[in-house]
Amino acid sequence: METLLEDFISDEDLKTCEKLYNDELRRGIRNPKTKFDYAWCLIRSRYPADTRKGVLFMEDLFKNGDESARRDYVYYLAFGKCKLKEYSSANRYIKAFLEIEPSNRQAKELQEVIQKRITREGLAGAAIAGGIVAVVVGTAFALLKK
Amino acid sequence: MRTISRTDRSRDAVRCTTMTESGPYNYSYIFKYIIIGDMGVGKSCLLHQFTEKKFMSDCPHTIGVEFGTRIIEVAGQKIKLQIWDTAGQERFRAVTRSYYRGAAGALMVYDVTRRSTYNHLSSWLTDARNLTNPNTVIFLIGNKSDLEAQREVPYEEAKQFADENGLMFLECSAKTGDRVEDAFLETARKIYQNIQDGNLDLNAAESGVQHKPQTQNTLLGNIQDKKESCNC
Repeated sequence: METLLEDFISDEDLKTCEKLYNDELRRGIRNPKTKFDYAWCLIRSRYPADTRKGVLFMEDLFKNGDESARRDYVYYLAFGKCKLKEYSSANRYIKAFLEIEPSNRQAKELQEVIQKRITREGLAGAAIAGGIVAVVVGTAFALLKK
Repeated sequence: MRTISRTDRSRDAVRCTTMTESGPYNYSYIFKYIIIGDMGVGKSCLLHQFTEKKFMSDCPHTIGVEFGTRIIEVAGQKIKLQIWDTAGQERFRAVTRSYYRGAAGALMVYDVTRRSTYNHLSSWLTDARNLTNPNTVIFLIGNKSDLEAQREVPYEEAKQFADENGLMFLECSAKTGDRVEDAFLETARKIYQNIQDGNLDLNAAESGVQHKPQTQNTLLGNIQDKKESCNC
């Protein structure tokens, strides 16, 4: 799963998808399939701005896209949010997915990664908070001594 | 500024995990594989049987792609296989095509109990030929060989198709595990032979093969130093 999260699409492939999507848009065609392809490519981009745009597209597809592809949209929403380090919303999406398909191995693997990262971020956050507390207490003591 | 240092740290953390799980560069080559074929032929089950030595009885349709690795040995050389397992559903076809590039081996799978999956092989083969390089080893796999009573595609027929198209071929069963290893290993042997024969340019990014030369040892030392100092 970590490999998938770190695997970036080539600029060439991204451009091809983008062109297809824009061409259809210009001709007034609204094809959820093309939009999904483009959204997936965007999510796989090395640039967070692209990934963010891809997530927005997936959110739109979830509301207005193909009913039968909803599980795919939700999975990629979790995947995209995880790439963007927005772990709590990633976790919400993957939980929603697992409520419908509790034994899906791919989704379980993604959830594991998300939860591992939440714990890690939590620890880092606690360490930073701990550091701040130490500084504040230290300063307070220093001031008292004066 | 803080964001940058945090990214660096998480990157180190990832590297450390990899180190502890697989040991530092205990292989001399990396081969990239893709698994392709219609949905429901058992691509993910083959991968799982190969990497975990277990059969998944309840296997949902793959979303997009999955990834698996295993280190094998060919002619005394340790080789790490990086296997990309693509979704067979038509709706993923456009995007899964982007994973073909730079594959050293392509496992093209059909289901011996469903003729339609065999009939679609020419379309999969066209994709494989167009999107990989001329030296990519394409291995045809007839899966579910344990279901002899339901067989719809005779062995001889598929063998002939393989011969006509210059493909390697075998039938196997992801369920019983029969000949699954052979499919992955024979592909690797063929790729390795191509390297020995000088047919593969290891410097080309598209070859799907990475060589880990001896000089890695110095790099290895650096990484291990880092391992000591990182907090993971």
